[in-house]
Amino acid sequence: MPAFLTRLNDAAKSKVLTLQEYFVLAGKALRFMFARPFYGQDVVQQMDEIGVKSLGIVLLTGLFTGMVLALQSSVQLKTFGASMYIGNLVSASMIRELGPVLAGLMVAGRVGSGIAAQLGSMRVTEQIDALNTLGTDPIKKLVTPRLLAALVMLPVLTIINDFVGIIGGNIIASLVVGLPSAQYWRTVWVQIANDGFALRYIPNDFIQGLTKPIVFGGLIAVTACYFGLGTTGGTEGVGQSTTRTVVTSSILILIVDYFITQLLLSVLTYG
Amino acid sequence: MADRRGPPDTGEQRRSTDAGPMNDRKTAAVRHAIRSELAGDAPDEAPHALQTSSDDCVVELEHVSLAFDVPIIEDVSLATHNGETMAIVGESGTGKSTILKLVLRLLVPDRGRVMIDGEDITPLSFEEALGVRQKMGMVFQGAALFDSMSVFENVAYPLREHTDMNDDEIEQRVREKLQFVDLDPDRVMEQFPSELSGGMRKRVGIARGMANNPRIMLYDEPTSGLDPLTTGTITRLIMKLQRELGVTSLVVSHDIRAVFRMASKVALLHERRITFFGTPEEMAGSEDQYIQDFLGGFSS
Repeated sequence: MPAFLTRLNDAAKSKVLTLQEYFVLAGKALRFMFARPFYGQDVVQQMDEIGVKSLGIVLLTGLFTGMVLALQSSVQLKTFGASMYIGNLVSASMIRELGPVLAGLMVAGRVGSGIAAQLGSMRVTEQIDALNTLGTDPIKKLVTPRLLAALVMLPVLTIINDFVGIIGGNIIASLVVGLPSAQYWRTVWVQIANDGFALRYIPNDFIQGLTKPIVFGGLIAVTACYFGLGTTGGTEGVGQSTTRTVVTSSILILIVDYFITQLLLSVLTYG
Repeated sequence: MADRRGPPDTGEQRRSTDAGPMNDRKTAAVRHAIRSELAGDAPDEAPHALQTSSDDCVVELEHVSLAFDVPIIEDVSLATHNGETMAIVGESGTGKSTILKLVLRLLVPDRGRVMIDGEDITPLSFEEALGVRQKMGMVFQGAALFDSMSVFENVAYPLREHTDMNDDEIEQRVREKLQFVDLDPDRVMEQFPSELSGGMRKRVGIARGMANNPRIMLYDEPTSGLDPLTTGTITRLIMKLQRELGVTSLVVSHDIRAVFRMASKVALLHERRITFFGTPEEMAGSEDQYIQDFLGGFSS
């Protein structure tokens, strides 16, 4: 076999192996959620780390995204004399797309990097080996609580992000366009209602807006733990794991977002 | 009985020739120092008090080989009896720490068997191996204390994980273990690993390793990076553990002086194989050129 084909073969095998390890880690971490012992205290601690401590950046992101959305759309809508529809635009954009994606990207940057750095440091200082020798499965002790916390907290952060974003839109709609708040909130609700309901009562927008952060939460936690636990090469390796985590999880969020949207748009009945 | 195994090392002759008379004098000086060490410790602290028989092997490796991309160890056979302290010595990168990882079943050999208390741990699943590891306490080179936990939580960790002890019992056990390693529980229990000196971290590492009262203790370079006084303290602690609690110990170390003080058996790893296995006295008295070079090398 020519040399370049051999290299290609090795590279392909290595990628497949990486993918396999990634899914094995995710599968084990999910399975351990239902097996004793439960590390409840670790889960609460991680919820605080992932959720409560990310609140500040998510509030800021949401507020300014909503504000800028309202500002930009006011200019466009004004040309058609449709300024009263700012609420529709802000609500649909925030709930379906920007809320989940921006919360995901923010958490990937803040929490994903933190998890990778912490687990990477534990790896290079033999703390992971110490857990093993003390009879504890590191995946159960370290990965499962982080995954569980991310799965719960990212949707919560997204809901807050959406809500604050819509409030940001309200502020701009009132101050810049002069749209009354009651009118703005009515259009927000009209938009949600117009997008249809699943099972009669659950708005389709909410299903889209909450499915995504659950998936993103899982992606961030597993990616960060995967790179963190696989750290080699001392402190330099920790830095590399952190960078890889942020880059990989951010790209995965954007790619997976497209496919989830495609899937949900074909499953849910809009309008 | 001294056991010279493995193929002859063709590099030994060259090393010996290169070393010259200066190295001979250094080797002789170190051997003299080692013999003095042995003689000085023999009356009260020699670790040979617990007599062993051939059928009470606690840790046993049978013809173990392991390779990743390149061979790491080949055809390694070792046996440690109840209450013995065995030291594994050798140059850097010869696979000493790998042997500890095999004993802990963090690694699985490609060939051969690893036996703990007569049970072959090689075919065990990951979950079953976690159970076997509870028989052992491990002290890591850098102590490997959990940064996010206080000293108390570190030492209490194995008790919380694997026993039904209540909080009072756990605290009592933690205090007892910290006192055993000559630390004042009231002073250090609430401190975090980052607030401790290197020697204190090692001692907390030993306290955590022995918290569950394991029958086997494994030490990876327990005295590396420590000043001579702290090295002496850690060495005495390992000997105390063996003497008072009858723990079987495996020590990986570069510190030949400490090894000769604490070990009842010494295994020398060279070029992936055990090339010497015997008592410290036999090692010190060996005429083998590589062993002489190796002992001499510690003086430089």
